[in-house]
Amino acid sequence: MRRPSIRSLAGGAAGIAAGVIGGIVLTSVSAAGPAPVSRTPALIDATHVPPVLRLPGEPVRLRYGLVCAPRDDGRPCDGEGTVYLRAGRSGPFRPYPFQRGDESRDGRYFLDVPAAVADSNDGFSYYAVLRDDSRGASVTVPSGGADAPQSSLPLGAAIRIALGRHAFGAVRDPDARVAAASWGSAPQDVGLAGSRELGFSGPSSFDVEPDGTIDLLDSVNGRVMRWGQGRRELVPFGDAAELADFTVESDGTFDVLDARGVLRSFHRDGTPGWTQKLSDRTWAKLDHGSSGPVVLQQPSEQWMPVADDGIPLTRKQQAAAAHAEKKLANGDDLLVARIGEGELRIGEVHRGAPVRAWRITSETPLGEVQLAESSGSRIVVVTRVYSDDHDEFVAVVLDRAGLAARFSVASDSWTETAPLARFRLARGALYRLRTTQSGAFVDRFDLEVPQ
Amino acid sequence: MRRFIVTLGIGLALSAVSGAQAYHRFWAGCNYDAPTFMTTMTRDAAQDYANAARYEGYQWGGGCWNYDDLDSYPDDPPAVAGTHGEGGDCSGLTFKTWRESTDTWRDGRYYWRALRNVHGPYDAASFRNGEGAPNHIVAKATAGVMDAFASGTHIGMIFARSLYGGDQIVEAKCEACGTNIFYRTYRGDSSYGGVGRWGWTG
Repeated sequence: MRRPSIRSLAGGAAGIAAGVIGGIVLTSVSAAGPAPVSRTPALIDATHVPPVLRLPGEPVRLRYGLVCAPRDDGRPCDGEGTVYLRAGRSGPFRPYPFQRGDESRDGRYFLDVPAAVADSNDGFSYYAVLRDDSRGASVTVPSGGADAPQSSLPLGAAIRIALGRHAFGAVRDPDARVAAASWGSAPQDVGLAGSRELGFSGPSSFDVEPDGTIDLLDSVNGRVMRWGQGRRELVPFGDAAELADFTVESDGTFDVLDARGVLRSFHRDGTPGWTQKLSDRTWAKLDHGSSGPVVLQQPSEQWMPVADDGIPLTRKQQAAAAHAEKKLANGDDLLVARIGEGELRIGEVHRGAPVRAWRITSETPLGEVQLAESSGSRIVVVTRVYSDDHDEFVAVVLDRAGLAARFSVASDSWTETAPLARFRLARGALYRLRTTQSGAFVDRFDLEVPQ
Repeated sequence: MRRFIVTLGIGLALSAVSGAQAYHRFWAGCNYDAPTFMTTMTRDAAQDYANAARYEGYQWGGGCWNYDDLDSYPDDPPAVAGTHGEGGDCSGLTFKTWRESTDTWRDGRYYWRALRNVHGPYDAASFRNGEGAPNHIVAKATAGVMDAFASGTHIGMIFARSLYGGDQIVEAKCEACGTNIFYRTYRGDSSYGGVGRWGWTG
């Protein structure tokens, strides 16, 4: 080995020194450049609960919350806005400026809908544009604006149903257990994640195919478990998808909607199809639409199609095709509105005109509506009843005479699921996803109501 | 010259070791400044504050974030405090959004800026129990915007009520899911109780 000269040693040392110094300078420049630290974000968002079903003569105040970038003085943003309103569902919109109130609990910005518009037999439709005056940012609600405005219909001659005070503890046992798996990662198991300190998550959703096959989203293990035709099948699809929602299409493809608002479609064998981001920031439920998956999204509070015959829709296309009504299996549409502490309004609509309506009241507070679907000529609704210490689900079957059937179902669950994914209606029965300390189950409750 | 270029490359590679610390670059911006005492605290200003923390990540026991819409260190081990990751945890986000004091007996309004690293003295269970002068239990059926639902392990604030009876909840949910606004059914879930903050001014 040749002995290095002083000159070559000096050159090497100079190179290392120059490299280190250069790297540090570059790092410093990148850190000190357009540093994200303390940057004030350009944010704008809005909140609104639409009055989709109104009682005759009920005054209508449209309320909106405006959400902006936080101010250094800690005060709310200085905003304004306009509601574009029209009677019925066609014709030009007329602008009405918002009033700005002192209270923000139900939305600081409001408009009292003129009686001439509110009392229209065809209801009214509207959208709003809210602005942050200090930054010039604006937001439109619903996000489809004039292309897919929010609508409000008169409830008409609604059938009144009084549930009274709920008696906790009288729950119905299921008629059959149609799927079951223990916790674990083995092929026969379903995944459990979390801890007592952090809470647990497990299978977050499920679906029932027309032939009775049960599909369980094993979110933790990134796979689907299928029970059908006397055997169990595993379909791996990739990474974990905790708290995701899930549907299976008629051709066996399945859709997984993750917590970040990305819908991924997979072929029946688990190979990836397409991926699409949702239009809005928040989602409540993934469901079957007439030509593909639909998602109930917020802040628009509308059902938005995410694909049309297997072709994913852009975010703008989703917003433009949104609607408040949910398509029913019987071809009609359904409007659902939870009002106050204990009222639930259900309206069946045909081509925009009310067909039947029910006004359900309860002395015990009502929580979320887990499911509202048609079963033959009837409407099946599953909602939660709760006190500060107890909760159960109540299933009601509605018909032209009123309440055709009613029963309570236990709501306790060892793990968290997607928010509105605890029940499915298929083949004339109600299916429930439940988890316990030992595993996950799908139970069936037969709806023994003559059709 | 060739030796210089080779060693220059080695030097640049060595400097990249410090680049690996870029994950924690944001941590250098975190501070321990005193909060600003305020006379007002509206629910929509609280919405503004919590909404701006979306996408900034989750850190068990944490309370410092910037506003770059990224979790600077998304892979911290769950349930380990002190790893200098970005974001609050569920109770830290609630504490800062509700402008509370680190002294549990004070019920004034203290504005903590995002980069002020503070978690506060409450965990989810103590919020659920209404502990501390600024906090109290509310009936779940009447809980409104920027009130909260808390269980023994988690707390989330009501960003908005929703049409199907659930709520849009702003929450620091977990290391994998970060901080965001999610549709939740905590209101009807008996493992959750309603919690409020005294002193809203509008």
